[in-house]
Amino acid sequence: MQTLRLSDHLLPEFVESLKAWGTLWAPVERAPGVFDLEVIDDVRRARPDALRTILPFKKLLLKPRFTMLTGRLGEIPEDPGEGRHGPQVFFGAHACDIHALRILDLLHLSNFQDSYYLENRKNLMVVGYGCWPDERCFCASLDTSTADDGFDLFLTPLEGRMLVSVGSSLGDDVVRANPHLFEPATRQDTREYMERLGARRKAFTLSLDVTDLPYVLELKREDPVWREIGARCLCCGSCSMVCPTCSCFNVVDELVPQSVGQRVRLWDSCLFRDYAVVAGGHNFRADRADRVRNRYYHKQEAFVREFGVPSCVGCGRCIENCPTGINVVEVFGHVRGDL
Amino acid sequence: MSPELARARTQRGATRVTLTSANPYQPAPARIMRISEEVADTRLFDLRFEAPDLAERFQYNPGQFIQLSILGVGEAPFSLPSSPTRRGAFQLCIRRAGTFTNYLFDHVREGDLVGVRGPLGNGFPVDQFAGHDLLLVAGGLGMVPLRGLLQYLIDLRHRFGRVMLVYGSRTPDQVLFRSELTSMSRRGDAEITLTVDATAGQPWDGKVGVVTQLVDNLHVDVPKTFAVACGPPVFYQFLLERLVAAGFGKDRIFLSLERRMECGVGKCGHCAVGYTFTCLHGPVFSYWDAINLPELIYT
Repeated sequence: MQTLRLSDHLLPEFVESLKAWGTLWAPVERAPGVFDLEVIDDVRRARPDALRTILPFKKLLLKPRFTMLTGRLGEIPEDPGEGRHGPQVFFGAHACDIHALRILDLLHLSNFQDSYYLENRKNLMVVGYGCWPDERCFCASLDTSTADDGFDLFLTPLEGRMLVSVGSSLGDDVVRANPHLFEPATRQDTREYMERLGARRKAFTLSLDVTDLPYVLELKREDPVWREIGARCLCCGSCSMVCPTCSCFNVVDELVPQSVGQRVRLWDSCLFRDYAVVAGGHNFRADRADRVRNRYYHKQEAFVREFGVPSCVGCGRCIENCPTGINVVEVFGHVRGDL
Repeated sequence: MSPELARARTQRGATRVTLTSANPYQPAPARIMRISEEVADTRLFDLRFEAPDLAERFQYNPGQFIQLSILGVGEAPFSLPSSPTRRGAFQLCIRRAGTFTNYLFDHVREGDLVGVRGPLGNGFPVDQFAGHDLLLVAGGLGMVPLRGLLQYLIDLRHRFGRVMLVYGSRTPDQVLFRSELTSMSRRGDAEITLTVDATAGQPWDGKVGVVTQLVDNLHVDVPKTFAVACGPPVFYQFLLERLVAAGFGKDRIFLSLERRMECGVGKCGHCAVGYTFTCLHGPVFSYWDAINLPELIYT
């Protein structure tokens, strides 16, 4: 992989140059310590170091709500293009985000390809940024704390400069378009990168024991722990909304005046009460505890059996946003009997 | 870059498309050729895709389903009660059960256009069935997908051994496809046993009682036979273990199941049960699958 260096004072110019490749998205600080992924005009607002935006990048690919099809009642509908966003650049992707993208790819691009996701994904440039963990990060346990590929460019901050990894042909195009910004990386850069890597590994304080977790969960299916968590969970769906890999959606038809119909796609959560209701009214998961268990099992058992990896990247968003303080690491610890 | 994206970036437009449209959420126009009242509140619809090439090309397995779409009203999944051996048109057998079907019954007429996405799901393993006897057991609306399979077996009669159907309904006036089943039976195409829970004072020359008892009376050559069952949850509760007790391997009993579905292509998550999406890996599962996915058969 081609490795370059970029001086800190050239970073704003580099970020500015990314605008040439599409709508530029980056984390910005909305309130002290609260970050949001927004379209950037003033590049000085970009905070690629921000650990977690409230909503993850998945909103760039599939918006929380968009019209898939529109047309007159009873007629054959057309795609109004509302779910297709053209070229976009995501500046400030962390390693866990890049792994989450791979998980979304597994779901949306295998079997039948989701054409809305596919088009936006092909049009997405990913510029990564080396983060530093806090007390809610447990990506190291899930092997998602670093990314070897899955990005176009990846910037790792070192003292006064960045180490830049070029991960794709498109990433190389960005470098070639701005040759004055980059220099070849030196042995000193590499040495500092290695030091940072070692120190970062030691900086993790939270860990999740994933040893044989799918089978442990199978053994613990009827464990009382699920009732206990079910009693605490409000089924508000916050964890699903902020999760970078949760992508369940609902499809509803709406009628607007002049009897124009539209088929709208909305983010959904398996924790919502009506999630598994069928025609005639039967609810396959009427019980809160069943819905809670289903979510955890889907992440750590079902997805592993289907695609070979869990659909959790250890970003800590669900821990940060749960109104009743349910912590995924504690839940699995409890299931194992550690706590 | 993930292998999926790499493949997608290099194969623009060359993706595996077996559906009615390249956008899996885009329904294709189909015209309703005929509507007939099958039993009270249950209608049989004959449909044909508007595009002649699609009408010809539309191929499916017995046991697969489609999403029927009326923009502005909604979309709902329905089993195909017709057989792919009868090309050019297909059928749906629909009971009035909610908002979508109410609209369909009250406002959609012969000659109208509707949207169809499909075929979806896996269908019955008919290749595995070749050379074997088949025991079909249906309860209530569970007859709908089994009727498609039955037509298929009879259209390709030489490929299969004995074809047996045991079909239970609540009352005589609830029996679907009654005259068709009677003539199949009379011609000797299949051994058909109809039963009802109660006659409710209506004329009836079939059996009275639950299907499980009748299965025992068929003298099935179990090692030569595959069992296929479709019905409400309570029906499975008794039937499946009865079949196992009769000697059926759990991987030689197949069921067609129902779940809430939105996308039909394994993305939206609503029909997920454990590691399977009912719409993608089902709706047909073996009893062995069902035992390993505790939520699959809910009672």
